Amino acid sequence: MSTFDVTNIKLYEDLASHMNHQSEHFRILGDADMTMVFAVQTPDKTLHFQLVFSELRCDAVDLVPADEAHMADFSLVGSVESWSDMFDDIYANGGASGPWTINSLALRGDRISCEGNDPMGLDKFSRFNQTLQDFLDGAGRLDLIRSQP
Amino acid sequence: MPKLTEAESNNAIADRLPAMTPMGQPLDWAWLRGAPSEWGVRPKPSARGLTMSDIAIGTYGEVPEQAQRRSMAGRGSTVEGDAPDMGYILNKKSDVWSDNVRELYEEAVARQWSATRDIPWNELPELPSDIEHAVCQVFTTLAEIEMIAADLPAKWMWRMNHDYLEAKMFLCTQIMDEARHTEVFRKRALSNGGGLLYSRSSGESLLRSILEAKTYTQATALLHLLGEGFILDIFRMGELIAPSHVEKKIFRMAMQDEARHVAYGTMHLRYAVENDPDVAEEIHEALDHGELLLTTFGTNADFGSALAYLLGGGEEHIEDKGFPLQMEMQRHQFTSYLSRCERAGISRLERTKLPLDLLGIDVSKIRGTSATAA
Repeated sequence: MSTFDVTNIKLYEDLASHMNHQSEHFRILGDADMTMVFAVQTPDKTLHFQLVFSELRCDAVDLVPADEAHMADFSLVGSVESWSDMFDDIYANGGASGPWTINSLALRGDRISCEGNDPMGLDKFSRFNQTLQDFLDGAGRLDLIRSQP
Repeated sequence: MPKLTEAESNNAIADRLPAMTPMGQPLDWAWLRGAPSEWGVRPKPSARGLTMSDIAIGTYGEVPEQAQRRSMAGRGSTVEGDAPDMGYILNKKSDVWSDNVRELYEEAVARQWSATRDIPWNELPELPSDIEHAVCQVFTTLAEIEMIAADLPAKWMWRMNHDYLEAKMFLCTQIMDEARHTEVFRKRALSNGGGLLYSRSSGESLLRSILEAKTYTQATALLHLLGEGFILDIFRMGELIAPSHVEKKIFRMAMQDEARHVAYGTMHLRYAVENDPDVAEEIHEALDHGELLLTTFGTNADFGSALAYLLGGGEEHIEDKGFPLQMEMQRHQFTSYLSRCERAGISRLERTKLPLDLLGIDVSKIRGTSATAA
């Protein structure tokens, strides 16, 4: 049983909140401007959680329909199990361990893939990769996140 | 007494000021009287501060298709008299511009990092000797080739008309990025009891070919689109190549920089082709040659074998894991490259001599990238 409910928008809102409380940490990495989607495949449907990053913040988290999700710079697509395993690894290790970084996962593409129509949008996955990783690594501080006002 | 306008007030001050210095040299107060250039602009800072896009307002934001002067005078300033010709040969916007260049400049400035401070050097684990040798060979080659992406912009920047200063400023950040990459790769080769290993002619031939490109647009096709695109994918593969989290972080940080350079190159080529379709053939000719050299480089004896060794995790799995992963990496590299060519408006699918079938490239996924990416 995973620590995280990856089908619940609250998880992504909590991660965004955590990021928005850590501006000094993210300032070291620099501004990041991208719109990306976490696509979570359940047996019935795919949930598209769209996140808008601007400067040092994650400004918006929304559950969007599939046709809107295509307009993002890129989508990270994986099953509930894959996303849960990734977040569990982050939680267990305080940050993603080697094979569970988002870049490792997307590179292999067998569990989580990075998809998009525009190579320039896809390249933003590379341009802002460390910011995205540190955003996800916020799940390693779940207790802290959940205790924040 | 009626209140003076700002201009009248400044003129009155200028009239009262001395015409000569105490040493007898003539003084010119024309700047105080005003100039034909646009006065009174007041760009508003955006939330992140005052960006280059914020100040691209009014006539200051108008980037001419054809530069009228060849001086270093700032775009929008009033130029009087004969300024010396600086020898610029890239005097058209389509020679150097990309529509994302201001954004990329700001991004580059905001996302600088330090190879000294931001890499956890004291956490480098002791590695088996064979793995350390492979790591050192990979970083020897990377340290060698990274500086080409500094040398090449430097070779062309002083030939770029100053009206396109944003493009020049972005290339300055690229030069800094490449200095940092050379630094971080060299530091890694030396930092764990190893050192620099082999440099061979295949790599040098590729570098020389890029450096000797006849035009800047050919040079940027070879460097930004082809060369850096390939290196970007190697950095992405760093997650699988790197034996420890230290090298992984090195690759991830360098990857972010490299992706900016590729983004500039892709969109510059697109701008160039859209505004001067004749350059398409020039770009194709460069890429015909470059693809051949890059294929040779990618399979060269030192870098290629060291990569396969690390991808396999050592001797035991080099054949059943290392080489297959290397093939997978090449498939990914060529797919990304061909997709970016589509995006740049210079489709290579009908022209390339690359063995697409042998590489396992799905052309149907690449075709039409530009159409869906508008």
